[in-house]
Amino acid sequence: MKVRILGIAITAAILVVGFTFWRSTTNPNVGKSANFAAAQHRGGQIVTSGRAAPRTFNRLLGQDQLSFVLGVVTQGHLVRVNYETFEVEPWLAEKWDTSPDGLTYTFHLRQGLTWSDGVPFTADDVVFTLQAIFDPKTGSYISDVLTVGGKPITADAPDPSTVVVHFPAPSGPGVRLLETLWVLPKHKLEAALKAGTLAQAWSTDTPPSEMAFMGPFVIKEYVPNQRIILDRNPHYWRKAADGTPLPYVDRIVYEIIPDQDAELLRLQAGEIDLTQSELRPDDYVPAKRAEDQGKLKVTEIGLSPMADAFWFNLKPEAWKSDARFAFVQKKEFRQAISYAVDREKFAENVYLGAAVPIWGPVTPGNTQWFWPDLPRYTHDVNKAKDILKSIGLEDRNGNGIVEDAQGHEARFTVVTQRGVGWYERGLAELRSQLAPIGIALEPATIENATLNQRLVKSDYEAMYMRFGTTDLDPASELDMWLTTGDAHFWHMGDTRPEAWETQIDALMKQNIATADQGRRKEQFKQVQRIFSDNLPVLYFVAPRMYYAYNVRVEGVKPSVLRPVALWNADMLSVR
Amino acid sequence: MRSWKWEATAGRALLILVVFVAVAAPWLAPNPPDRQFDAYLYAPPTRIHGTYFYPLRLISRLERRFEEVRERPVSVRWFGAGHLVSSADPNDPLLLLGADSYGRDIFSRLVYGSRASLGLAALATLATMIFGAVVGGIAGYAGGAIDEILSRFSDFVLVLPAIYVVLALRAVMPLVLPPGQVFALLVGIFALVSWPVVARGVRGIIASEREREYVTAGRAAGASPMRLLAVHLMPAARGYLTTQATLLLPAFILAEATLSYVGLGFPTSVPTWGTMLYDASNVALVGEAPWMLAPAAAIFLVVLAVNLVVQGSGRPPLVR
Amino acid sequence: MIRFLLRRLAFALLLVIAVSSAALLLTRLAPGDLTSELGPRARPEDVARARERFDLNRNPLAQLGGWAARAARLDFGDSFLYDRPVSPLIRRAAGNTAVLAATALAIATFLGIPLGVVTGSRSSALAACIRGASLVCLSIPPLLASLLLVFLASRTGWLPSGGMTSVAAIDAGWPAWLLDVARHLPLPALALALPLAATFERLQAQAMTETIHQPFVVAALARGVTWRRLLIDHAWRPSLRSMCAIYGLAIGALLSGSFVVEYVTAWPGLGRLMYEALRARDIYLVAGCAAMGGIFLAFGSLVSDLLLFAADPRVREGSGK
Repeated sequence: MKVRILGIAITAAILVVGFTFWRSTTNPNVGKSANFAAAQHRGGQIVTSGRAAPRTFNRLLGQDQLSFVLGVVTQGHLVRVNYETFEVEPWLAEKWDTSPDGLTYTFHLRQGLTWSDGVPFTADDVVFTLQAIFDPKTGSYISDVLTVGGKPITADAPDPSTVVVHFPAPSGPGVRLLETLWVLPKHKLEAALKAGTLAQAWSTDTPPSEMAFMGPFVIKEYVPNQRIILDRNPHYWRKAADGTPLPYVDRIVYEIIPDQDAELLRLQAGEIDLTQSELRPDDYVPAKRAEDQGKLKVTEIGLSPMADAFWFNLKPEAWKSDARFAFVQKKEFRQAISYAVDREKFAENVYLGAAVPIWGPVTPGNTQWFWPDLPRYTHDVNKAKDILKSIGLEDRNGNGIVEDAQGHEARFTVVTQRGVGWYERGLAELRSQLAPIGIALEPATIENATLNQRLVKSDYEAMYMRFGTTDLDPASELDMWLTTGDAHFWHMGDTRPEAWETQIDALMKQNIATADQGRRKEQFKQVQRIFSDNLPVLYFVAPRMYYAYNVRVEGVKPSVLRPVALWNADMLSVR
Repeated sequence: MRSWKWEATAGRALLILVVFVAVAAPWLAPNPPDRQFDAYLYAPPTRIHGTYFYPLRLISRLERRFEEVRERPVSVRWFGAGHLVSSADPNDPLLLLGADSYGRDIFSRLVYGSRASLGLAALATLATMIFGAVVGGIAGYAGGAIDEILSRFSDFVLVLPAIYVVLALRAVMPLVLPPGQVFALLVGIFALVSWPVVARGVRGIIASEREREYVTAGRAAGASPMRLLAVHLMPAARGYLTTQATLLLPAFILAEATLSYVGLGFPTSVPTWGTMLYDASNVALVGEAPWMLAPAAAIFLVVLAVNLVVQGSGRPPLVR
Repeated sequence: MIRFLLRRLAFALLLVIAVSSAALLLTRLAPGDLTSELGPRARPEDVARARERFDLNRNPLAQLGGWAARAARLDFGDSFLYDRPVSPLIRRAAGNTAVLAATALAIATFLGIPLGVVTGSRSSALAACIRGASLVCLSIPPLLASLLLVFLASRTGWLPSGGMTSVAAIDAGWPAWLLDVARHLPLPALALALPLAATFERLQAQAMTETIHQPFVVAALARGVTWRRLLIDHAWRPSLRSMCAIYGLAIGALLSGSFVVEYVTAWPGLGRLMYEALRARDIYLVAGCAAMGGIFLAFGSLVSDLLLFAADPRVREGSGK
């Protein structure tokens, strides 16, 4: 018996030693010295990661974060928004002319563009893509974006290298809108469009040979639930300043890691090079430690253009005969809350100090649209109490919670998404900061699926969470601003807008139809002022963002918008 | 097998200690479990220098850097203000195991958390054992169609995605429940999901035991089935049941952790070992703040104590 | 014997049907549905289309009926998350889980049972050490075990800290691929196997001690049977019967326990797939995964019954009637 045990032990020991040895011989990235002076190296691969698996490779349908990343990495558009400067840049179009009325854009395509399968790229592909987007059978969400003044944008191709795009009405974002026009290969998809099956085309099990791309990389293989392999597009058009054909790296591997903690661990271990998201505030210390060990580079990106939102459900139908709605719907009630919150303290306790106070949805991180002179609610607990008293809310029974004359207490269940540390901490902080003015919050952390359903069906009292965005221009958030919008989240399906809501509606509609950027900014300031006076949604702080990536990657220009690093995929290289 | 006696003694001592901790929590914990010390987010354990310690001054919240204030030592107070040990100044907390991401005292939460975690696991184990033994015993003894039905039913419950049963059950409840109700709910759900494990094992033992001579003899002598089952057959399963109890108790402590993690257990504000372990689930972070693993160590200790007691309690009952 | 097997197979089929139907119904009844995956900003048209495609507008029983009718023709529906039929997804994930579970089971068996025989038959310093180690392993929850192993792996760099294959082996041919998988396997397998091995050891030890003190064993010893023969023939084989009962359960437990481990170590198995499907309310994927889980369990219980059959002559005679 003992002999057998000994045998097992020896086998185990051999295995362990073997693995150790093996590991030490197969780790190629150890011990290479830094060499900043040299030009960026061509070749090698970058391993990146994200939490979600793709649902489709069809850029017209995928609305999720990963689809966006894949679009940036594998597909092309006439113009792109530079995520560093947030300016519009020529991309597949070398330059464009704008007609005097601002309604017609004539794009001149670059010479010699070809798809990844070698077929020439022509103006017809652009016209085809617009057709595909507006085909009702496709049901593309992009059709909403490219609808101006209720009518679709159209295009025609006078010759193979010229595209003329017609806007049916003046547009605020203008040419910026065309960033979302990700071109599709007519030669691959024309049959599907004619057959009305474009919505099923380019699903995740379509063989890569049936797809063609204009981006720096092409989809090589998708292993469900594990990884997507993206190889260099040999026909990519862009060249570096020194004439090196881009992209620098041969391959990008996108690993699917559902757990963000595990992702951080693998980033530290050098198994992945970069991620699609900024560091969580609590992850700063471990990342910094890895930087000290020479494994990672940690940079500050700037202030986030997105902030956590706290709001009450303002849909009267959701409260039915609940007496609390009488005070929830008063703007004074919400203003009292805004006065009661010590935003500096909030930033310290929730974001470990890496955040700045804000008073509206547009943060200083949105350098183009932030308005620093927006009226502020300076922290004042007594003022908050007075306001509550003025609308009939005071603590009549001495239990620490304010109630109205009929005894209805200001006690609310606040829903947030579970598993997001700063949501939970933010809600806990809010709860403790509102306790002194007698408003009791009961946090409920629930799963994402349930949360979304409650939001869509307006089945909640109050909520705390953050909405993502892919563009800084308020026109891209129209679905939130307009009372008729699908993401008017504090009052879904608003059929009887109040006066101030109608005002915002009108201003935003003007805003998207105004081409003069100066006037747009003035209009949007008004919107921000009305919003912050009525406070349908409360914002407290804008987090400061940090990003960590492997030191072997060069050319990273982290952006405050996601994908933080991959927007610049063709310029990334490895040592 | 005599040499294992010390194990039982050690295990019992540990268990008594843990139960004492749970009972005397308010006296043992230096700070209230919910008190958030804003300047102490992720603070390391307090270093005690004999009779005093230095309070911490925050240097950088993001980098979690603190500095001891050497000029102002605070004395450690024993048996004062209703606590075994506490800080003489309530604003400079004594943090024996550091603070968590909310600036709450981990040691105090650990001590208070033992109440919910242990009570829940113990009650759920008891409920599961009783239910499982009854169903398994009946199935094993009766055999035939009853056995088939009960066994298949337990197979069925066993394969149900437990988390979904819990989710559906939880869905019909109000979103926010007082901790007491969550407690009762979890006991019920744990027992409901895990009795088949016990039932299957008991059934197997009873089924083979009932073929033995003494049972056949008993039957022939006219002993009632219930009596046979309770007096003669169940003891055969006692060894198995004890083993199962040692497996179930830790499983339930962990189940509480898992459920709290999924957002279906206790709310994060309630201190339980589960909600605390959730805070420590970020492995990369734990490398920087190993004291956050305290709830894991606590779970480990309790489970070890249970195992020691069972192992040390001597031979299986059949032989005795 | 054949009739016994057939009967068990029929039950297994019933079990799989019942389990997948229950999973489907529970997914329907649970709050939230798969359209939540489209996000709060989804267009109503997209939501309506998804609901239509996945029969969410029909009543739950009608949906179940429709699904069952299609499943009978081996069409198990589509996954919303992956936008493709569920069968290939499940087959792939189940294969990965089977590899993981089989490895873990093998490790647990070859570690736990012999060790249990040692500790259960006599006391010695070695047995004491094994008991100690087993107690420790048993007292470390699987979630914690996997977290600790991952932490250890990422700190030491001995083993990859997650996944099933690494990017280095993508184009390297199948021998390299196999070696790569073998390098990723120990971590999740150990996390699963260690507590299980300890369980086996404990149960085997318990059963051994119980059997050794049975009168027939004592009698055999009195007849002059050697200790080794006694241990194998008289004590170990009979003691296996309680092991067999637990063996089938272990397969089920491995399956359900593997979800945490698969999640932490990013092993692309059935547990992780099902967890993701559950979270996203990807209804047909949930039902398919549950069916596959049912098959695993039915298989486990069948194996357990067969083992019991082989190990215990009394049961054999009993059911042979």
